[in-house]
Amino acid sequence: MELEWAGVPSVAIVHEEMRGSAQAIARVSGCPDYEFLAANYPWTPTAIWSKEECLELAEIMAPKVLAALTGQS
Amino acid sequence: MTTAAQHTYDSYEDLVEDYFERGWTDGLPVMPPTPDKVTAFLDGAGLSGDEVLGTVPTREVTCTAEQAAANAVMAGCLPEYFPTVVAAVRAHLHPKGNCHSTTGTLSGAAQAVIINGPVRNELGVASGAGCFGPGFRANATIGRALRLVIRNVCRGIPGFLDRASFSTPARYTFCFGENEEVSDWEPLHVQRGLSPEQSGVTVHSLMKMVEATDFTSRTAEAVCETLVRDIRANGVAGDSWLGEDGNLVIVIGHEHHRFFLEEGWSKADIQQYLWPRLNAPATSATDRMARIGKPEGILIVAAGGAGMGASWLLLPHLALAITEPIL
Repeated sequence: MELEWAGVPSVAIVHEEMRGSAQAIARVSGCPDYEFLAANYPWTPTAIWSKEECLELAEIMAPKVLAALTGQS
Repeated sequence: MTTAAQHTYDSYEDLVEDYFERGWTDGLPVMPPTPDKVTAFLDGAGLSGDEVLGTVPTREVTCTAEQAAANAVMAGCLPEYFPTVVAAVRAHLHPKGNCHSTTGTLSGAAQAVIINGPVRNELGVASGAGCFGPGFRANATIGRALRLVIRNVCRGIPGFLDRASFSTPARYTFCFGENEEVSDWEPLHVQRGLSPEQSGVTVHSLMKMVEATDFTSRTAEAVCETLVRDIRANGVAGDSWLGEDGNLVIVIGHEHHRFFLEEGWSKADIQQYLWPRLNAPATSATDRMARIGKPEGILIVAAGGAGMGASWLLLPHLALAITEPIL
């Protein structure tokens, strides 16, 4: 959101387990409708992923990030 | 019917301050153990006040149900918690629970109270996110009740019969449930001989608790190797008096548990994997034999919430973990 406030289009990716916390932060930051992309299992919530896991997740997330940035989500 | 000496106070504040003065608290305020409340606790559990829950021969102490009830009231328990407190007190005072040693030791051993069975949901015992910490009345007050019994009945008073050099925050209270709903793992109390329909309490005196953190393993075997490494690095206390029945409690966290579930590992599979590796000869000062007499002496408990790639090792003091039914 800070990037957004600085004029840089951004998309936040959180883990499903952290969605509640992320939404709370968005709410107190004045952006209750801020949309998140969420990773879920089998990716671990702590994001300490192997290179292979990062690449797999990136392939899934990249189209979603693009869609969010271009308003097509 | 209560038999203890009775005191009268003009206000709650006067009672609390007098109890502090007399040394009857753990340093926090207590609820007044009025005769009516103590009687209600005893009646609810179907116990007479003079029923003996256990003894500490080395301290010439006999713990009655009335004494336990008074301390359960003081701890903030609800009446329906009391049968669980009674089971915890009985477990703690079991001869092989070695309560004189585990509450008097320089090491400041703490007592983990692990609750299984239907009573967890009936009382609201937390077994998921945050279950080791504050915020859950049943966890907080059942564990505190046992500690107040240790202090007020069994004379485990710091600087007196409690000789801990540092002690530990876990001595205020340490109680949690096993998360039995998260998998088909056999609950701890069933492994220890009770039926699934029963509820049970396991009291485990621990020398120290260690977080076995592992964010990178992605298989059951790899998680087990981390557990082996951390257990052997920290060591397991033992004494020939305990025979071959010594225990170690491993609380498997959510993020590790799922790897065992994905690969179909049961608790017995984990025990069989760990046991020979823990008992293997030492290779260095930080890789020591962790002597456990039997695979089933390794007690596996599922608990905790999602997120953290960690399990907890409750490394034993010189006592057996004792399981008692909640009646």
